[in-house]
Amino acid sequence: MNVGSEQAAGVIRRGLVLSAIGLLGLGGVYVLALGYTPVEARQGLAQKIFYLHVPAAWSALLAFSLVGIASALFLWLKDPRLDRFAAASAEVGVVFAAIMLTTGPIWAKPIWGTWWTWDARLTLTLFVFFLFIGYLGLRAAVHDPAERARFSAVVGILGMLLVPFIHLSVYLFRTLHPQPIVLKPSAPSLPPEMLTTLLVSTLVFTLLYLGFVTARYGLALAEEAREEARDAA
Amino acid sequence: MPLDPPRNGEYLVAAYLVATVILSGYWLALWRRAKKSLRGDRKAPMN
Amino acid sequence: MPDPLRLALAIAAKDIRAELRSRTALQSALVFAALVLVVFNFARDPTVLAATDLAPSVLWVTFALAAMVALNRAFNVERENAALDGILLAPVPREALFLGKLLANLAFVGTVELVTLPLFMLFFNVSLGRALPGLLGVTALATIGFVAVGTLFSAMAVRTRFAELMLPVLLLPFMVPPLIAAVQVTSRLLADRPLSEMWGWLRLLALYDVVFVTLCTMAFSAVVDE
Repeated sequence: MNVGSEQAAGVIRRGLVLSAIGLLGLGGVYVLALGYTPVEARQGLAQKIFYLHVPAAWSALLAFSLVGIASALFLWLKDPRLDRFAAASAEVGVVFAAIMLTTGPIWAKPIWGTWWTWDARLTLTLFVFFLFIGYLGLRAAVHDPAERARFSAVVGILGMLLVPFIHLSVYLFRTLHPQPIVLKPSAPSLPPEMLTTLLVSTLVFTLLYLGFVTARYGLALAEEAREEARDAA
Repeated sequence: MPLDPPRNGEYLVAAYLVATVILSGYWLALWRRAKKSLRGDRKAPMN
Repeated sequence: MPDPLRLALAIAAKDIRAELRSRTALQSALVFAALVLVVFNFARDPTVLAATDLAPSVLWVTFALAAMVALNRAFNVERENAALDGILLAPVPREALFLGKLLANLAFVGTVELVTLPLFMLFFNVSLGRALPGLLGVTALATIGFVAVGTLFSAMAVRTRFAELMLPVLLLPFMVPPLIAAVQVTSRLLADRPLSEMWGWLRLLALYDVVFVTLCTMAFSAVVDE
């Protein structure tokens, strides 16, 4: 038992509380989505998946960008806090990407008749998902913490820079291969109830991101504190 | 002529269920890892 | 202080000579490429899918997989001989070291591609004719891109536990943009389409190469140095 693990426990607790509040908020979003928002005429009830799918996608991409930025800063400043944060953000990002990639097909099937479409957003998130998996796999496969931090940072930066190329590829592919349909339901003129619910949901997801990352960061701190205690003993 | 919206509520339920399971599942996983990690160090009053 | 370019060439020459002696990477990759082509041939129904429709994808998937085999073997052999550690002790600029490795890997993968191409023409009954110079060009462009990332990642992967698994898992997402572009250009070349239709993809390839070769060169020292 040392100062480090006490600190870590505090961080973990804060994170868990924050994300628990987020989960309650999620319940609130469900209530809003089911009771407050209108039923869309063309898409029916399934359209309400939108209130989960879009914020999840946004959170996943936020998490990913932050991993990239933290990685770049880490290689420059060598601050281990940045590495800890990147690892936490990557793990949480996988969770949100998984939500986006599951709700996406569940939404697509009744609306467009197909489980998967290679549209820009789904494709990009799929790649981000695979990049996350590679990143986390690499972290698990390297023992030495300093080496692990350096390697992950390299992958993080390269991954971040890959995203524009994925985007460009999909864009070029679409303009030269016009795909049928696909008008994103997030049309600019959303009725106010939909917009409000979407904003609330985005807030809830951001809260969840912050809570989860904090807790995960605390877990890394706790692990390091344990290592230290063991080495000192 | 008003059209009835399509009846696809089961997809809605499925999606909301999946999201709930993933998010609360992750929260539980974090909580369990925290308990395990801090168990040897102190009696943490975690609920 | 020796000119870094000459240093890179020297390192590349050393690696190439070592490979020519043992031939492990080349052999594995070539056999692999031939097998993949054969499998693809039996996996399709010729009455349903014309060879020319599938050909570009088959070619590039083969190139991509063979490249990964080559990259893996090359670095493994190196590790077994602990040669890299020796070089790292010397004050060799890491950029030159990376460039040297990149050139050597390009030589390996390029050789595999050059041998695979006639096999491909043979198995799939595709005549390249006028498309050949363009095809060589786009092959060079795409290969530079993914071999650069592959060289960096294999330097990382050999230091991890599941090296053979780690390299593909890390590398494949990075291979997709060059692969997509290469397939698009190849299919247009084979169909004798005008250059204007390929321009966007070629620019993507060139940009990818510039960005990632630079990035990987800079990142190499973070990988090999403490």
